[in-house]
Amino acid sequence: MEENKLQEFQNVIQATNITKKYHGFALQLPNLALPKGFATALIGENGAGKTTLLNILAGIRLDFKGDISYFGKPKGPINSEIQERIGYTGPRSYFLPHWTLSQVEEVNELLFANFHKDRFRNICQELGITQSKVKEIKKLSDGNRMKLMLASVLARDTKLLILDEPASPLDPLMRDKLCDLIRTYLAQGNGERSVFFSTHNISDMENVTDYAIIMDHGRIVEEGFVEDLKEKYILVKGDGEDANAAKEILVSMTGSTYGFEGLCAAENLDRLAGMNVVSEVPTLSQISVGIMKANTNLKLSTPSFTTHREISS
Amino acid sequence: MKLLQNSGVPIYQQISEQLKSDILSGKRKEGEYLPSIRGLAKDLKISVITTMKAYEQLEAEGLVTAAPGKGFYINAQDSEMLREQHLRKVEESLMSAMQAAEIAGMTDAELLQTLEALLCIKEGS
Repeated sequence: MEENKLQEFQNVIQATNITKKYHGFALQLPNLALPKGFATALIGENGAGKTTLLNILAGIRLDFKGDISYFGKPKGPINSEIQERIGYTGPRSYFLPHWTLSQVEEVNELLFANFHKDRFRNICQELGITQSKVKEIKKLSDGNRMKLMLASVLARDTKLLILDEPASPLDPLMRDKLCDLIRTYLAQGNGERSVFFSTHNISDMENVTDYAIIMDHGRIVEEGFVEDLKEKYILVKGDGEDANAAKEILVSMTGSTYGFEGLCAAENLDRLAGMNVVSEVPTLSQISVGIMKANTNLKLSTPSFTTHREISS
Repeated sequence: MKLLQNSGVPIYQQISEQLKSDILSGKRKEGEYLPSIRGLAKDLKISVITTMKAYEQLEAEGLVTAAPGKGFYINAQDSEMLREQHLRKVEESLMSAMQAAEIAGMTDAELLQTLEALLCIKEGS
């Protein structure tokens, strides 16, 4: 896709110089933009700063530096009018442990002017959450608690969903359903609704990811529309004897004496000329892992191609 | 629409190819709107950006036009363009035949003979 074409897109969130420092960790984002009308995935290692970022954007964490503009409005602190239009689900339950389903309903009604009780009941039914099942929030499984939070945000008229790890506690069938719910949300919004979610389950969420942001150590290390990233990077596989030479060129790689596999920037592909390699369009998961591997502090087994075979996980 | 996840052909290309053949065969008619990008993404269970790329490809090939805020509608398919499309297909097929011939070690003369022989058979039948 042409670069200039993509710039025509508006952003649902535009933030500059977001900084949040902890002991030994700093979130530093000079520029963050989420395209309006799309689903954006936030990908990164544990501790990369994903939750911190989502909490800042959702208005849960206010002790940060930087400016955020929501929905194309002038930059400024988050207010209740903006929060009405954002649906947030977190990794932990935000309902009190002793609440029942009807209490959850009541609290939602009380907190949000745009909460529709009928829609809430319909979605609960659709997701298999019933009155008898939800005697007390604390007795719910993580998966059912996530469903309840999703039902709560989807029962409101929002323009942006911020979902922190929505897929993690869900079973495969429900992850598929989650993707459907996100696509339906976007389709009904007709370009006016956006979704921002963090995930470790990239393969399960790939078919609902339009834009991807990959974070490491509090910084954005790569971002782009998925279809563009799939042209920017190429998955290459080659023979063991070329591995050491290829290592210098590839973004990252894994290998054994039998051969290597790695992510190559498309612009560097011709530097592999002369090697016996095959190439493939990578999946978003392969792109993410390749980039994360290049940036991580983790001591992954570094392949050396002279002795025994080593397999990187 | 049938989409194959592991065929090696990118999903956006599979979508644009199938819509293209629908348009060229007249199954989808001039002036008709394609499904909305997000609606199709939902129905096909794929991302919005993939559908968008498929539509942009059709637009680049001149088969559809984007109407801002309304979607993509199908252009009039003039006969010359149809012929152009078919010629391209013929060229592509001949190219792959040439590649196969090279691998098989056939000479150009042998390749031409094969084509002539096939044409003869077709005429005969």
